[in-house]
Formats: sequence, structure tokens, C-alpha cells
Amino acid sequence: MKKIAISTTLPLEILLATQCEIVDLNNRFVTSPKASEWLSQAERSGFPKSLCAWIKGLYSACMAEKPDLFIAVTEGDCSNTKGLNGILAHQGIPVLSFRYPQDNTPENLESALKQLATDLSVDWADVLEMRKRLENVRLLGIELDRLTFETNQVTGFENHLWLVSFSDFDGNLEAFEEKLTCFIAEAKTRPAMKQTVRLAYIGVPPMTADLYDYVESVGAHVVFNEVQRQFSMPNSLSAKTLAQQYAEYTYPYELDGRIEDIQTALQTRQIDGVIHYTQAFCYRALDDVILKDVLPCPILTIEGDQATSLDGRTKLRLEAFIDMLREEGQ
Amino acid sequence: MRILGLDLGSRQVKLVYMIDGAIALKKAWHTATFYRNFCGPSDKENELGISLEALGIEKADLLVSTGYGRNNTNLKDFLAINELKAHSLGAQFQTGEKDFVLLDVGGQDVKVMRVASGQLTDMNLNDKCAASCGRFLEQMAEILDMPLDEMTSYVAEPVSLSSTCAVFCESELIGKMAEGFSPETLAAGVNASLFKRLEPMLNGFEHEHLWLSGGVAKSTALKKHLESIYPRVTPLLDATYNGAIGCCAYGMTVQTRR
Repeated sequence: MKKIAISTTLPLEILLATQCEIVDLNNRFVTSPKASEWLSQAERSGFPKSLCAWIKGLYSACMAEKPDLFIAVTEGDCSNTKGLNGILAHQGIPVLSFRYPQDNTPENLESALKQLATDLSVDWADVLEMRKRLENVRLLGIELDRLTFETNQVTGFENHLWLVSFSDFDGNLEAFEEKLTCFIAEAKTRPAMKQTVRLAYIGVPPMTADLYDYVESVGAHVVFNEVQRQFSMPNSLSAKTLAQQYAEYTYPYELDGRIEDIQTALQTRQIDGVIHYTQAFCYRALDDVILKDVLPCPILTIEGDQATSLDGRTKLRLEAFIDMLREEGQ
Repeated sequence: MRILGLDLGSRQVKLVYMIDGAIALKKAWHTATFYRNFCGPSDKENELGISLEALGIEKADLLVSTGYGRNNTNLKDFLAINELKAHSLGAQFQTGEKDFVLLDVGGQDVKVMRVASGQLTDMNLNDKCAASCGRFLEQMAEILDMPLDEMTSYVAEPVSLSSTCAVFCESELIGKMAEGFSPETLAAGVNASLFKRLEPMLNGFEHEHLWLSGGVAKSTALKKHLESIYPRVTPLLDATYNGAIGCCAYGMTVQTRR
């Protein structure tokens, strides 16, 4: 089976219709025991210190995976992926660019999606069939999320891990669906979590996934993982067309859509505070200025770089923030 | 009621001992000296025992600790609170005020806290960088071969230092010395550089009155710089011991609840 590696969430309905194995290199990188080594490897190859760790991780993960094709999202995500594509092509890896149109009308999306299908030699009828095939797993994603914020039976970390895996279904849709079904059945038998402070996690998924266990240990429950939830396409069942579904997907476009999505969650999920994660050297750190201004609750911004576990300072900040929210709530 | 408060800082460990709400004893040690002379393994794993006797404390009803080691150091029989809580409580105890902004500049970290109606309502902490902290000043004083107290008093005609990194600032400073700038203007440059790094952290923390704590609160130059953005800037009377005082203040609330 041929292997397609990707740089972030892409329209999986099209990619899976190719019958290839899909690998989101971010997931491969961040869960790899070699993550630190891969970062050093990229730096030895000339990637500057002052560059986002994710790009370096993607590069080394791609060199290790040696996919038959690498698709980078070069618009609607970090523009460093353009440079990355250039380097990978230079190293002999076939590459393709996908651009989320910045004017995200369904018409523009329709044309971008059809172009991707053409580039991958996929029949549009097969794409639509795949969309139908994914309905069940998308529903499971919604249920998992509900068990996180409504019944408090799923931890913030579990929510993060499952939803972030929706970008490639761990490379095996059937197995993923089965595992998630079992997980949900088991989670429903659990007692509700006891943490009293309810947090939203916004921004790109963290390099430091131990963040979730840490906030839990100091009394908080992450009930909303903004971008990870977007990766799972919770709107796919309500969107009439695939183009509409990807036009409503908030991550690649201007901040307004993300703000609306976050504000809805803050209300419906009774959230006390927000953790905004930014990645060192990422343009998305600028969003922080606006988010702090418009979101109606306390925000703690934390920055991650290369480390895959939280440092003492960040722990202190998280703890103090949660302490503060708890006292406000009393 | 006897309460012992310990602030485990990156440069110093500070101790405050209160009897019935009044400070009976204050002491500080170099951090390494403190761990070496007074601490040892306890009967539990990942826990450190402290000899109160060696510290000169006869009896304490409650032991409270805070500091850089809050997440790493588990002191036997101590109740651990986070630094922000300790500092905000310490400032309330010392000033009697319930609404203020506190800037704490320690050896390796900077904290800004807003306290409203006696509650911590907002805070900001520096990132992993020492260029805005006390350690930076110590290093620069060493390079200038000038006592720290003297160096932190110069404000006029600062030499412009552009390095964003404390380590590179050393070589920049040496370069400026070689260019013939006077020690006073170089010292003023160091103080201006510290302020330049602190200023963005104070965004959103506007207030009538800014209190200062931590070792760097002694810097008269920093006070003058801060007066350009705050109507009133006052170092706490016990700026260095504020965290340990906050521990005792917290202990008092615990005792009251009991």
C-alpha cells in the first residue's frame, strides 16, 4: 500500500479515497521516542534554531517515513511548509501543496477540493462515498467530546489524543473506529471526574502533552480542545456538502471563525478559564493579542518550544492560574 | 500561635517566624548552603526533611513553604503554596491594602500580580529568560566591577544595550567599555535594559499604586524608571522576605479556619 504523509489536517475524504495509507507526520513526530533526536537531526541539516519545532519534527519524521507522497498545507497554515516542501523535494521526496482558500466560500472550497482530487487521480463519486463512510466515526468523535464536557467521564488528555488522531485515523480507519467504540463504551461506565475548575485549551496542539495530566493533578479539567476538536470535523454531519464542511473548518482561516467557535464553547461548556498554547516562533502567537482582548474570561498563555514535557516555570504558572480561578469561583 | 514560613528562592532561602501574627525572626541563607546545612532525606521517597532545631526554631504550630522548588521540593511536614499566592498574601500583610499591583523581581524570575478585594485576579510571569531578573544585575555589576547597590542607582544618560540575552549582554557591555563610555552611563544602560524587558510584562496592570518586592526592589534606578508609568511606586518594607511573610500569613488563615 502506498503511503501519503501530511503536514496537518487535510480533506481525508479525498485522501482516503486514494486507498493509500495516510500518516499525519505531526502525530508520528510528537509520539516518537526519537522526537528530540529528530529535532537535533533537522538542526544538523541546517534548519535554524529560531524555527518552529513542528517544522523540524515534520522534516525528520518525513525523512524517516520516506512516504510515496508528502502533502503540505501551504496556505491556511504556517508558510514555513512552503520551504519544507522545497527541501523535501530537493531530497527526492515527491511533494504536493494544498491551499485552503483564504476567502473560504463554499465555491472556492469546491474548486480547491476538486483540484486536490484531480491531483491525486481520485474519482469525485468515491470521495462522496468516503464522506458517507466517515459519518459513523465522526459521530463517535462528537460522543467522545460530549463525554468530556457533559458527563466529565473522559479526561482532557484522552479527548486531545483521540481528536488529534482524527487527522489520519492513526493510519487505519477500521481499527481506529473499533478502538474508539470500545473506548467510549468503557468511558461511559466511569464515575465523573472531580476536578472543579473547567478549562478550555486553545491554539495548536501542545508539544507538551503532559500538560493535561498536570492541570488535572492541580484540580482542573480540560473540557474543550479547540483545534483538536476542529480536526475531528464536528460539523461534518450538519454541513450539506463537503465544500461547506471545509469552509466551516475554522483552523485555516481568519481568526473570526475560531473566536466564534471558542465563544460558543465557553458558554455551553461553562468554562472558567482558557489556556492559550503558542509555539515558539509561530505566527499564531500574534493571535494572542486579539484573543486576550475579545474572550470574556481569564486567559493564560503558555509557550512551548522543543521540550516534550512541561518545565517548572510553566507548571508554576498553570498552578497559580488554576488556583486563582478556583478562588474566583468560591 | 507560632508559624514558620520558608521561601525557597533560586539565590536565597528566606525564613520568617511569626508568633501571634508578629515577626519574631527573619533569616536568609544562600540556597546551596541552606540545603547542605539544614536538609536531609526523610523517611519518604522524594521528600526532604528539615531540621528545625538547626534552624534555631524551638516550636512551630504550622510550617508553610513556597518558592522555586514548589513543584520540585517536597518538604516534610510543610504545607506548600505557590509563589504567587505567597507574594500576594505577603504584600497584603505588609501594606494592609487589598487592591494593588505587585511587581516581584527575584533572582531568576519576575512576577506581576493584581490583587483586587484581597484576591489574586491576574498575573504574569516571565518566560525562561534571566535578562529581566536579579541574576542579570549581579552579573553586570561583576563585569563593571561595581557594588550592586551602586550600579542599581544610576539612571542618567544610559548607554544603549540592545542584546536580548543576558549572556550576550556581557560582551556588549565589555565592547562599550572599550569604546570609552563611563561606568556610570554603562550602569545606567544596564538599569534601562532591565526596565525595557520588564515594561511589556506590565501591560494590562495599570494601577494607581505599584508595590515592589523581591531582591531587585532595592534598585533605586528601577523605581525611577517605573515611576514613568506608575503614579506611585513603593518597595515593600520587607521586600526580600515578602514570600516568607506570605507563607506565615497563609498559615494564619489556615489556623483561623481550623
